[in-house]
Amino acid sequence: MINSIGAKCVILHIAAVMSAVVLSCFITAENAAAQNGTSETVELSGNVTDANDGYPLIGVSVMIEGTKTGAATDLDGNWTLEIPDSPCNITFSYVGYETIVKEYTGSNASSFSKVRMTTNAMELNDVVVTGIYERKKESFTGSSATFKGDELKRIGTQNILQSLQTLDPSFRIMENTQFGSNPNTMPDIEIRGKTSVAGLREEYGTDPNQPLFILDGFETTLETVMNLNMNRVASVTILKDAASTAIYGSKASNGVVVIETKAPARGRLQLSYKGDFGLEIADLSDYNLMNASEKLQFETLAGVYTDTTGDPFNQVRLDNLRNERLKAIASGVDTYWLSEPIRTGFTHKHNLYAEGGEDKIRYGIGLSYGNVAGVMKGSDRQTLEGNIDLIYRTGKFQFSNKLTINWLNTNDPAVSFSEYAYANPYYKKRNEDGSIDKYLYYPEEGTDDYPVTNPLWNAHLNNYDTSQSFGFTNNFIFEWFILDCLRFRAKFGITKNDQDDQTRLSPLHSQFDDMEDTEKGLFTQTMIRQLNYEGDVAITFGKLIAEKHMVNAVGGFNFSNNKSQNYGYSANGFTDDQFAAPSFANNYPEGESPEYSESLRRAVSFYINGGYAYDDRYLVDVNYRLDGASMFGTGNRFRNTWSAGLGWNIHKESFLTDRTDFFQMLKIRGSVGNPGNQNFSAYQAFTTYRFNGWMTNIFGTGVIVNDLGNPDLAWQETINYDIGTDITFWGDRVNITFDYYWKDTDPLLAIISTRGSMGVTSVALNAGSQKTHGWEATLRISPVYRPHDGINWNISINATSSKSKYANIGNSFSRLNEEGQSSLVGTTRYYDGGSPTAIWAVRSAGIDPATGQELFIKKDGSYSFTYDVNDEVVVGDTQPKLEGVLGTTLYFKGLYVGCYFRYQLGGQVFNTSLFQKVENIGTEDVYNNQDKRALYDRWSLNNREAYFKGISLVQTTDKSSRFVMDENTFTGESINIGYEFPDRLIRGLKLSALSVQMTMNDIFRASSVRVERGIDYPFARSVTFSLGITF
Amino acid sequence: MKKTITAIITAALCLPLLSGCGKWLDVKPYDEIAEDDLLSTQDGFMRLLNGIYIELNDDMLYGGAMTVEMIEIMGGAYTIGSDNSIWGNYNDIASYEYDTDYWRTRFSETWNKAYSLILNCNLLLAQIDGKRELFTGDNYYIVKGEALALRAMLHFDMLRLFGPVYSRHPEATSIPYYTRYSVTPEDAQPASVIAEKVLADLTEARILLSVDPVITEGTKMEGTTDGSSNFLNYRSLRLNYYAVTGLLARANLWFGNREQAYNYAQEVIRAANSGIFPFVDRSLVTGSPEDPDRIFSSEILFALSHAQREELFNNYFDPSRLPNYVFRMDNDMFSNRIFGGTETGGNLDDYRCRVNWIATGSNRYFYKYSDMANTGDIRNTMIPMLRLGEMYLIAAETQSEDLAAGVSYINILRSNRGVNSLASLNNRLLQYEYIRELYGEGQLFFMYKRMYSPVMFSVTDSENPQPSDEIFVVPLPDSETQN
Repeated sequence: MINSIGAKCVILHIAAVMSAVVLSCFITAENAAAQNGTSETVELSGNVTDANDGYPLIGVSVMIEGTKTGAATDLDGNWTLEIPDSPCNITFSYVGYETIVKEYTGSNASSFSKVRMTTNAMELNDVVVTGIYERKKESFTGSSATFKGDELKRIGTQNILQSLQTLDPSFRIMENTQFGSNPNTMPDIEIRGKTSVAGLREEYGTDPNQPLFILDGFETTLETVMNLNMNRVASVTILKDAASTAIYGSKASNGVVVIETKAPARGRLQLSYKGDFGLEIADLSDYNLMNASEKLQFETLAGVYTDTTGDPFNQVRLDNLRNERLKAIASGVDTYWLSEPIRTGFTHKHNLYAEGGEDKIRYGIGLSYGNVAGVMKGSDRQTLEGNIDLIYRTGKFQFSNKLTINWLNTNDPAVSFSEYAYANPYYKKRNEDGSIDKYLYYPEEGTDDYPVTNPLWNAHLNNYDTSQSFGFTNNFIFEWFILDCLRFRAKFGITKNDQDDQTRLSPLHSQFDDMEDTEKGLFTQTMIRQLNYEGDVAITFGKLIAEKHMVNAVGGFNFSNNKSQNYGYSANGFTDDQFAAPSFANNYPEGESPEYSESLRRAVSFYINGGYAYDDRYLVDVNYRLDGASMFGTGNRFRNTWSAGLGWNIHKESFLTDRTDFFQMLKIRGSVGNPGNQNFSAYQAFTTYRFNGWMTNIFGTGVIVNDLGNPDLAWQETINYDIGTDITFWGDRVNITFDYYWKDTDPLLAIISTRGSMGVTSVALNAGSQKTHGWEATLRISPVYRPHDGINWNISINATSSKSKYANIGNSFSRLNEEGQSSLVGTTRYYDGGSPTAIWAVRSAGIDPATGQELFIKKDGSYSFTYDVNDEVVVGDTQPKLEGVLGTTLYFKGLYVGCYFRYQLGGQVFNTSLFQKVENIGTEDVYNNQDKRALYDRWSLNNREAYFKGISLVQTTDKSSRFVMDENTFTGESINIGYEFPDRLIRGLKLSALSVQMTMNDIFRASSVRVERGIDYPFARSVTFSLGITF
Repeated sequence: MKKTITAIITAALCLPLLSGCGKWLDVKPYDEIAEDDLLSTQDGFMRLLNGIYIELNDDMLYGGAMTVEMIEIMGGAYTIGSDNSIWGNYNDIASYEYDTDYWRTRFSETWNKAYSLILNCNLLLAQIDGKRELFTGDNYYIVKGEALALRAMLHFDMLRLFGPVYSRHPEATSIPYYTRYSVTPEDAQPASVIAEKVLADLTEARILLSVDPVITEGTKMEGTTDGSSNFLNYRSLRLNYYAVTGLLARANLWFGNREQAYNYAQEVIRAANSGIFPFVDRSLVTGSPEDPDRIFSSEILFALSHAQREELFNNYFDPSRLPNYVFRMDNDMFSNRIFGGTETGGNLDDYRCRVNWIATGSNRYFYKYSDMANTGDIRNTMIPMLRLGEMYLIAAETQSEDLAAGVSYINILRSNRGVNSLASLNNRLLQYEYIRELYGEGQLFFMYKRMYSPVMFSVTDSENPQPSDEIFVVPLPDSETQN
């Protein structure tokens, strides 16, 4: 109730602001009318056109300088203005165009008949596009970065996100060591680090640290952004701090990525084609596996061929087995399995776009196709996208509509890369005749050995793991240019997507070996239906008052509805490998029922943004947003977001400009605000019930509680401070941007394990806080800077560093800590003062030369051979102390060359390869191929100074600092070279533009740690050739 | 002017939008049952209540662990072999090794399940008072009374299992008592505090259930024939007025309130004598030896209804399980103490022996949970939770300070079991009678714990576990102490 009253106050406030805005425009018009009555006037008239294409410009403001008298051009660009018949200056101003000041001398009226305006030099990079409003970057106090589509394309052609991380230090794609460069795995993305507790992802399925994505003014999904053809992108803006993100209120605490696609250009019909042709090559340099004789030697040392049962016949059998393998090795068997699932992927993407139109109607029709072939066989991702853009402008109204239809088809290999990495090199892949055996090794009856499956067998079967989706997005925008300074906008967007995932495992798959014939094989289908819609109305005001007071204001209302439904079922009992349709299944798996789940989220918001700049020197921005969301409890349904930013353009101060023109930009700015996060489960605040389906009784059915909701669950919010500076000097040759920020997420929202007596094992609660502080900087120097000759050489370096820690979380996460302690390789812990990226383990003093035992250092500093989880301390941090990109670009006429190298310094890593593939090789693991280091540098009586314990199948190794290593890496993230053909060369070909480019991504990687990366799917290096033609 | 009006109209349009927002944001899940939807009808409350009764049949509670399995092993009822490949983890629990991984997990599961049902009771109770108008007749009192009684019964059993030996350490910290649903945990309290809360809930439940039709119409163990709700029938499958009264007798005995225990037991005995819970008919036991009423269903004050109750017999007692484990009484205990031995009152003609202990080879096996011939019979689903016989046992123990004077109550019970009277009564003889009457119903461990006496696994006293807190007090489960 209180919230609803609060919300009403807010709307009244919005109304007041709006009326003030309207009134101020109204007064201006009245003033103009009042002055029209003076005697001795002449009538000036003329026509204003775009200097570029000659089309008339509508709504250009034509004013007598220094007065409030003026007029606007009509639909044909014509204007008429009565002026006093004395010399004066007439100004022509229009958004996006250079203002023209023409002197009226009293006799040059005819020179006003044709005025041609040119688009102003203000590049796209100089505008901050927030998706709700646009602001000149110079007068904006927020921290943001804008990149043009072409810039991103030069870095790489995979997707805009890959390129963004090279260009902006705050934007990071988390390396996925499990799934490497799998084209069908969605990456984890962070802007300025994490704000939420890890572990929630598992509970909720959504990444609570994922930034908000806005595509053409509407919220969209990570997957849509990943699928978006880069050639359609006009610009991408990253909003980082509170002043820039707070307009998105409770969705904004992880930052916002605003993407604008290209709008059709006016003019005659123009056709452009852009194509990318790439090769992807697997990077296996991090694998360090044994060869056949090393593996056999290791197995021998580990005692695989030594009988322990005391049965002499068994020893004979083992000797024979070993001799057989020795013989095979002697005959030259040394199989390299890793090459088997790998291929060179050929990726190609095409984009065809036709655009044109006149001043009233503009249109664009596009078709994009992409086929990304991953480096593993059977792994691909095909996208097909059609889009129609229409813009209709009549009088003061503009209607624009963007329709996109997309189709997606993905395939994943049925056998993961790790299975090939496990296969022993002393086995042959195939028989002499090329056929594949199901087992590389099948033990004799009566032995305890396990059969070893040939990964090629499972891979050659008729398995599939495929997903198809089809959907459309239609975004409609209506704009009403009420006055020059006042604009009304209504938007409505709808997105529908249907996805169909199907996996099938052949009945011959080794997984079913122990099953009845009638249960072999498995088919699973999951369908996901999504329907989202979003609407928004807003009023925008922008006016320069009395030449010094620039006032901008936006107020609006937004609502959104996101619904998704999942259906699924499984079937088994296939009789044949070949016939894979679900109709060949015999039955459903025993005890399984169809799956269904549904999620519906709704949100409404009101927002106001105000910007004020005095003389372009003193800048103020304020934001307020009221959000209500269905997933928060009735006790906490609405939430306020606010932010304030201040800025000072020192370079505009007379004390500086009077003395020097050294600085083109010298700005300091700061902001504070409290954006929130709602990447959480739709029904977490609800208590829900389910039927206890396992039994009914004489009284009928029963229900019991399913999930215990927490109606008082508070929104997770992050207080966000930012201080930054933008400096440009030496004739635009040196550019520095620096930001220092600190964030405090309080309260955190987390799934807390509860006492058993609570009746539920976990509950969503607010607990503790997370504090982060960090900085990021970008420095760009142009030793050669001759823009007019088209010659430019830049050297850039960006860097970022941040630290986070938990506070006031107490024992809330004890369950996660225990799970981590008991898990094989989990080193993340949740303690007050600890960092979310810290590595927790017991300190190790190394291997005792005398005994070969690991010597641990207890918490109190004493030494012990006994491992105790309570001695865990922070032994490293996966977050690098310093990270960034070094780059250089050279433009020479149409030619450009760019190189970008990522460096990561001062981080640590828990080396799982050493932990799992050197030590901790148990009786089952010994049959898998292992890291070479498992054989060498092991402790023995002859090698007492070894780093690793002696070879043993029974000894387990606990998580200790011995496996934590300093990680410093240097990666060739992007190397590109391109050429834009000058007009004179292509005119003969009847082309209006032609460009070619070659890009190499992740072409090398040097690291101080050797650890297997890309466990289930290898990482890839890629080389791409791109072609752009405009007819 | 026009523009000002436009602005005002725009603002005015937004206002109703907002007031509608609150409602629009009230999203109801479709794939689960929202609380507001469920508890908007009388039927919803009844379904929730019935859901709790059904879940009592869970393996971790009275469908296994708390009636025939874990708790009965702890009560020394079964002879557990030493071969681990057959008996698995049962060896550990028979020697009260509560600290093994397996049993720690098992106790956690029992605890968690019991408290999850307490949570369900509390969710129901949190809503029922505000929605009283939904209920017809006396149903409000009955639903609320049963929910309160369920909450008390579950807490009481957790206290009996995890709490102290009450007669020795009534002030020892025991378990938490949840009287409302909340997302913050309650702390464990002294057993005496829990005692007050158990008795308070049961007393309130009994008052609410004073409108229970069982008082006037009996248990009505026949269903309705016109297809209408059975809600007010089958009263002995619910915590009816007399079941709650019986629970009060049981609880007061545990808490050492001898007089109250006696009074409550007496009240039930009087009602039974008036025909509500008649002693089992002799003909049902002796007249139809092929198909006897093994659980003496007419005497049951409260039983669960488990649709697959035969699994209890099949999984634990059926001699055809051999060579896998089968739960049964030690042969010497059987023939020299319980159903044999002149000084102990044992007799093979005891109805409780004739129908429930059947010989295969030289061993007797327990058939209480074996089905009757008529497959649809409601009696084949019943797991007794509280029976008239226990009221006689309680009355015998509480009628005065002098236990021997209670022999008349024992003898009434015995005469209805077809065996001769005892001349006198002592603790040991009382315990034998408990074993005869309540074997396989999960009460024996609590009896030994209450009396703080040795657990009679066998006839050799020196081999039986001596009373101690180590065996009688199960440590609070990990799920409670580690979060």
